Amino acid sequence: MSDQDLVVETVREILAGHEPLLLSDERPWDEGLWADLAEAGLTGVGLPEEAGGSGGELADAVAVVRTLAAGAGAVPVAEQLLVAAPALLAADLDLPAPEEPLTIAVDGAVTAEPSDDGDGPGRFTLTGTAVDVPWAGVARHVAVLAAPPAGIEGAVLAVVDTAGLTASRAVNLAGEPRGSLVLDGVGVPGALLSPAQAELVRARYALARAVQVSAALEQVLAWTVQYAGERQQFGRPLGKFQAIQMELAEMAGEVTATAALVDAAVQALDRGEDTVVLAAAAAKVRAGCAVEVVAKRAHQVHGAIGFTQEYRLHHLTRRCWSWRDEAGNELAWSRALGAGLVAGGGDDLWPALTRVV
Amino acid sequence: MSSNQLTLAPAPPSEAAEQVRLEVRQFLAEELAAGTFTTHVDTWLSGVDPDFSRKLGARGWLGMTWPKEYGGHERSAMERYAVTEELLAAGAPVAAHWIADRQSGPNLLRYGTEAQRKEILPRIAAGECYFVIGMSEPDSGSDLASIRTRAARNADGDWVVNGAKVWTSNAHHSHYGIVLVRTGPPGEGPRGKHQGLTQLLVDLSLPGLSINPIRILDGGHHFNEVVFDDVVVPGEMVLGTEGAGWHQVTAELAFERSGPERFLSTWPLLAEFGRRAAATGDPAQLATLGRLSARALSLRQLSLRIAAALDRGELPDIPAALVKDVGTTFEQDVVDEVRRVVDVPASLDSPDPLGRALAEAQLHAPGYTLRGGTNEILRGIVARGLGLR
Repeated sequence: MSDQDLVVETVREILAGHEPLLLSDERPWDEGLWADLAEAGLTGVGLPEEAGGSGGELADAVAVVRTLAAGAGAVPVAEQLLVAAPALLAADLDLPAPEEPLTIAVDGAVTAEPSDDGDGPGRFTLTGTAVDVPWAGVARHVAVLAAPPAGIEGAVLAVVDTAGLTASRAVNLAGEPRGSLVLDGVGVPGALLSPAQAELVRARYALARAVQVSAALEQVLAWTVQYAGERQQFGRPLGKFQAIQMELAEMAGEVTATAALVDAAVQALDRGEDTVVLAAAAAKVRAGCAVEVVAKRAHQVHGAIGFTQEYRLHHLTRRCWSWRDEAGNELAWSRALGAGLVAGGGDDLWPALTRVV
Repeated sequence: MSSNQLTLAPAPPSEAAEQVRLEVRQFLAEELAAGTFTTHVDTWLSGVDPDFSRKLGARGWLGMTWPKEYGGHERSAMERYAVTEELLAAGAPVAAHWIADRQSGPNLLRYGTEAQRKEILPRIAAGECYFVIGMSEPDSGSDLASIRTRAARNADGDWVVNGAKVWTSNAHHSHYGIVLVRTGPPGEGPRGKHQGLTQLLVDLSLPGLSINPIRILDGGHHFNEVVFDDVVVPGEMVLGTEGAGWHQVTAELAFERSGPERFLSTWPLLAEFGRRAAATGDPAQLATLGRLSARALSLRQLSLRIAAALDRGELPDIPAALVKDVGTTFEQDVVDEVRRVVDVPASLDSPDPLGRALAEAQLHAPGYTLRGGTNEILRGIVARGLGLR
C-alpha cells in the first residue's frame, strides 16, 4: 500500500463518521470533521514538520484534498494544504498551527503599506476589503494577497488573524461561506512577492479548485453509474439502455480527460516547472468544461430524485458549479492560457503547448 | 471507482522522446522552408507524398518500435508518439505510409509468417510500401461482423475472393491490403458471427481486383471501393490463424484508435487561428484559443498514457476507444469554436489562410467521428468499461 493509499483510507474512515452537511448560517462548515482531521494530523499533510506540519509530499496533500472533495467535506483543507500554507512557506512566513483553519484571499481591493507598529521588520498595515474569501468567518487565519505599496511591483502576502474581525455573509451555490473581510488598518506580518510569485499563488488556488472538481466529478460518475445499475424502468436497469450508456460514456470521457490533465499540472507544480501557471490555467479551464457535461448528464440520468435536497447528488454538483467559477473562472484562465501560449509569437503555439505539461 | 478499466497510469517522462521531437521539428522546419510540402488539415487521410514518406523512412522515423531484423529501430512507443505528433501538428503529408506504419506493420509483426515479415516490414519502414484496411463494406459499417466478402479454397489450396470493401483510404496509391473475409460459417448465438472470419494479406495488383474512386465532400479522391471478382490469393497469404479474424481485428483496432491523429486532424486550423489571435490580441479569440488548448492538453495526456501502456506491452483497447471519442469530438469542435470568434468565411478559395483551413476542416469534419469506429460504437465500448454491458 502506498503512502497515498494509506492517507486516502484514513480520510475515508473519518469521512464515514460525517455525512455531508446541508450548510446554513447556523452551521456554515463541518467543525466536527475538521476536528477529527486535525486530531489525525491530516490538516498538516504535505507541510514540513519543522514548520509545524505533519510531513509528507504534495501528492499526499492532493490525496487528502481529493478524498475530501469526493466526500463533500465542508472544511477548508484545500485552501490550507494546497494554497495558503505553501504560499506562506514559500514567502518565508510563519505558518499558523495546522489545527487552526487557514484560508486564502486573492480578490478585492486590499493595499499593504510597510508598518512601523514597533513589532519589527516584515510588518505591513492592510487596508481595504477582501472579497470572495473562502470560509470567511470560519477560518481563523487568512493569507491575504494584497496590492503592494506604491511604486513596487508584485504583491504583499500577509497573514491576518481573524479574531475580532467580522465577515460579511455570502455563500456559494453549495452554501460554503464566501464572504468579505473588511481590513481597517490591520498590522500583520507579511512579505513582498514578485509578480511571478504572486501569479504562482493565484495558480495554486486555481489548481486546488481543479483538483477538487476532478475528484468530485469522478465521484459523480461513480454515483451515476451505480444509480443506473440499480434503478429499474421498463423492467430493466437504466444502464442497460443505449441512450443512458451514451450519456455515461460521455461523462467518463470528460472525467478521464480532466483527471489526466489535473494530474499532470500537479506534477508540474511538484517539480517546480516554470510553466506551472499555464498548466494550472489549463487544468482549471478543462475542469470547468467537464463540469458542464458531467453535472448535466448526472442529473439527467438520476431523474427527479437527483433534483432534491434529500438525495446526495447535489452535494457535489452544486460545489462543482461554484468551484469552476472560483479562483478565476474559465473566461479569465482561458484568456491567460491563450495569451501565454502565443506570448512567444503566433507561430509558437504548438511548441508552447508541448512545453506546458 | 468503477472506471478503472478506463484509467491508465501517467506516462513517465521520456528524454529520448523529447530529443527525437526536436529532431523532427527541425526537419519539418527545413522541409517547409524548402517548400517540399505545404500545411493542410487532416493530412493523414489526404496528404499522399511517397517522396516525403521515403524521407521519413531514411531518417528512421517509420517502423520505429519494430525489431531491427525487420527494418525497425527498436525505439519506444513514446518516441514514436513524439514523431507522429510533430508530423500531424505540422500538417505534413503522411497519408501514404500512415496505415502501414500504424497498424498493418504491427499486425504483420504479430501474426505474419517469417517470410511475410522479412519481405514486407523493411519496405514499410523505408517508406516504400503502403497498406489499406479492408474492413467496411457497402452493407457493413458499424456492424463489422456482418461482412459478406467471402473467400473459398480452390483445388490448388489458394483463396478465391469475391465481394467489395469500401472507404478504403488511398487504395489507388497502396500495395497491400489486410482484408477481413468470411471463410467459414458463423456459429450459434448472438456472437456467433464472430466465428468463421479470417484476415488475408492481399496484393492489390492481383487480377480481378478493381479499385474505384469514392470522392468525399471536397471532391478529394482518398476513399475507394475495392471490388474482388474471383481474385485468387495464394493460400499462404492467410494472416495469422484461419477463423481468428475477429480477434485479430479487435487487436488491430487498438492501434487504429489510439494515436494522436485522433485529436490532431484539425490542429493546422488551430495553429492558423493561434496566429490570428496573437496578431489581433482580441480577448474573445484568446479565450477560445485557451479553451481549445486546454482540451488539447488533456487529450495529449491521455494519448501519452496510451503510448506508455503500449511500451508496457498492454493493448489498451477500452482507453483507446475513450480517447478517440473525446478526441474526435474535439476535432469537430475546433471548427465550430473558431468560426464563432473570427469574421472569416470558410472557403477553399479564400485569400486568407484561415478561411482555407476552416474550409478544409469543415469539409472533412463529418469523417472524424465516423472513421475507425463511430463515436456511438466507441461509447458502447466505454460503457462496457464502466461495467454496464
